[in-house]
Amino acid sequence: MLPKIQIDQQWERDFLQTLEQPLSCSTWQQYCMAVRIGRENIISEFQGLESPNHLPNLTFHSYQYETAQKAIEEMNGKAILADEVGLGKTIEAGLILKEYMIRGLVQKVLILAPASLVTQWCMELNEKFYIPAIEQRKNPQWEAIDVMVTSIDTAKRENHSEVIKQINYDMVIIDEAHRLKNKKTKNYQFVRDIKRKFCLLLTATPVQNKLSELFHLISLLKPGYLGDEETFSRYYGEVEKHEELKELIQKVMIRNRRHETKMKWPKRIVETIPVRFKEDQKKVYENICLLKEQLKHDSSSMQAGFLVLTLQREMCSSREAVFVTLKNTLEKQSIASTDLSQEISQIVSSLNDLSSHPKAEKVLELIQQWKEDEKVVIFTEYRATQLYLQWFLAQNGIRSVPFRGGFKRSKKDWMKQLFKNQVQVLIATEAGGEGINLQFCHRIINYDLPWNPMRIEQRIGRIHRLGQESDVYIYHLAVEDTIEDHIIQLLYKKIGLFEGVVGELDQILEKFGDRSIQEHISSIFSQSDSKGEMKVKMDHLTSIMFDQEKDGSSHAAN
Amino acid sequence: MQQTDIHQFLNEFFTEYQCPVTNISATSMVVQLTPEMDKALMNRPFYWHYIEKMGGLPSPMQLTFETSFEETQKSKTSEMVHYGSPRLHQLFSFALKQGKFGHYYEDIHLKTGAIPLKPWICLNGKLTYQCHRKKEHFFSIALSLITGEMLNNFHSLVEHWPMKQTISSLCFPLSPLIKPASGIQRIKNHLLTTLHQENHSWAEEANLKIKEEIRLLEQFYIDVDPKPDSYEREKEAIQTQYDPVIQLNIINGGLFYLNSHPLNTNEKTP
Repeated sequence: MLPKIQIDQQWERDFLQTLEQPLSCSTWQQYCMAVRIGRENIISEFQGLESPNHLPNLTFHSYQYETAQKAIEEMNGKAILADEVGLGKTIEAGLILKEYMIRGLVQKVLILAPASLVTQWCMELNEKFYIPAIEQRKNPQWEAIDVMVTSIDTAKRENHSEVIKQINYDMVIIDEAHRLKNKKTKNYQFVRDIKRKFCLLLTATPVQNKLSELFHLISLLKPGYLGDEETFSRYYGEVEKHEELKELIQKVMIRNRRHETKMKWPKRIVETIPVRFKEDQKKVYENICLLKEQLKHDSSSMQAGFLVLTLQREMCSSREAVFVTLKNTLEKQSIASTDLSQEISQIVSSLNDLSSHPKAEKVLELIQQWKEDEKVVIFTEYRATQLYLQWFLAQNGIRSVPFRGGFKRSKKDWMKQLFKNQVQVLIATEAGGEGINLQFCHRIINYDLPWNPMRIEQRIGRIHRLGQESDVYIYHLAVEDTIEDHIIQLLYKKIGLFEGVVGELDQILEKFGDRSIQEHISSIFSQSDSKGEMKVKMDHLTSIMFDQEKDGSSHAAN
Repeated sequence: MQQTDIHQFLNEFFTEYQCPVTNISATSMVVQLTPEMDKALMNRPFYWHYIEKMGGLPSPMQLTFETSFEETQKSKTSEMVHYGSPRLHQLFSFALKQGKFGHYYEDIHLKTGAIPLKPWICLNGKLTYQCHRKKEHFFSIALSLITGEMLNNFHSLVEHWPMKQTISSLCFPLSPLIKPASGIQRIKNHLLTTLHQENHSWAEEANLKIKEEIRLLEQFYIDVDPKPDSYEREKEAIQTQYDPVIQLNIINGGLFYLNSHPLNTNEKTP
């Protein structure tokens, strides 16, 4: 079967015209030079990568090269690149894009990255790959510019999205694609509406909580590949189908893991540092625990449980965080019993007299032990804590900069720059952690711990990534005899998460089916009536994770 | 292309386009652009507009190129040129544009006699096989406009011959019996015939992929009626992604008046 043939007629017309004035033709040298160049640039095989020849200044790791080749040759340019954090997904995507551009298969490209990464994408594509990527400006010219980098938030705005949806893109690249796990969001629908031939989705955490998230990601790439949603959840809900599913997924997703890359990675040195509440703080914590009983009369036990749980976690972070939540509770929720609201007000006022938080003191102690220019990133879950810490460190002569997801891109760049060049400490909240690369820093303090293990992995990945040359130190702060202690003891220590020993975190998470780990933990904490009950439930939870992970080998050991 | 080839190319390129090349070492060179080349390469239309409007004295730029990755005598103003660098590809496309059409006479110096030069027409180009992947095939085919004889690899046969844009004395061109336009058509027809004989399993595979992906797509939307816009859009995207097509593109070509037959360079007609 002969496919359709397109014949260049333009040259012939021009040539016959030129023949009328033979002297206007090229010199013999010019003519020969053109033939030589034309012949030199011929790509005579479907297979193989040309792009490395064009990028002699870059050295690729073999797994990156193989990933690019697989994505192009086996996956036909529709792939999820799901390497663990810090293995260089951007490099892989750049290599793939470059290959398509050299072969003339791709010209019009849209890259959607988190706002904090837009500038970096542009720089890397331009400087490393010689791809003329342009950052979207105030009045973006979506049609005129061939390789545009922007954030989803900007692109989905109505005035832009209408234009974007009209354009036929050859390739769309989406960084941090796990943000598209929910098909009901505007982001998801917007991306689905972009016309595209090739598509790369980049994420280190393709499954954050549920398997269905992966279903939605894959359906963006290849609708129907895993069937429709209903069939998918019915069919693959059964454990025995997981092998089959895994095989299917491997045809559209590439996931390189640190320990498989055969490279020498800097070590992760993990230290859990217990701290103790002082008497006054301990008292407030206990009062918070007591609230649970009282609240039960007032609202549903679920709600009460969650409120107390939140307060407990916040108390382990800073009194400021507790204060914000309590104040909101008093203002927004109508609390029927006056006893209760009095009780709450009392806790609020007792907060005023508390001494400085033991964790903050610990942080200070750590920093003072180090050399003066030793950088550290502190992660906290709460904005109030972020402000408090910044103030507390400043009181003690240590300068720090904040980092939040809500910052404008320029502010994020500025903060990162300040941290790199002038300031010792960067204090980041969760949303701010994604996508910044801080290889020049070797230390992380987890001031409080998120309950989603994937998020811990994201945090550590900020510094434990390609380009990190020295070992990485990770400190966890946990207050003794509080819920934090339980989390550390029962969950993190057993999973061995921080050392990356298990590393198969996504597989562990898959076992939980449709309920996420946080949901499990939250419900255990908020609905257990005694410490004993809580401990039993937590042990049960970890044993499910752990036993299945180790499979039969643990039995053999017994 | 190796770095040494690139070095040689830069030298030849700028010399050919009248830009003096100086300070040439094994890995670097300094090039003084002419105003024409500055306009073509340096992308500064405002400067040239200003100079021309004001009648100022133009000072075209001087460029320093490096072709070695060694971090030796590199100055801040020098430009590293390698196979992937945008500069090289800019020069490539400039050269391709300037070298599209040829009209040459074999350069012959004989003392006596009227020497007939026979016309040939040559096309250099590529066949591009494209679906979701792409490969190319180079061809250089010439046709004698007297006998209709067709030759493969014509350019390689004549590229080291002396050629001139004007005819040498004592030589005279034979008038073509076949018009250049129909010569071009014959070469194209020949290419089409070879295409018909080739095995195009790649295109069949691509078509299978289209079928398979559309089948999946239909499954995905099986219970949805009427089908949403996204269905049509995705269907179209699949089609354009894999759609097999062959393109015939001409790199350049020319009319040649040759005394000797390209396959027999020693033979000289008296």
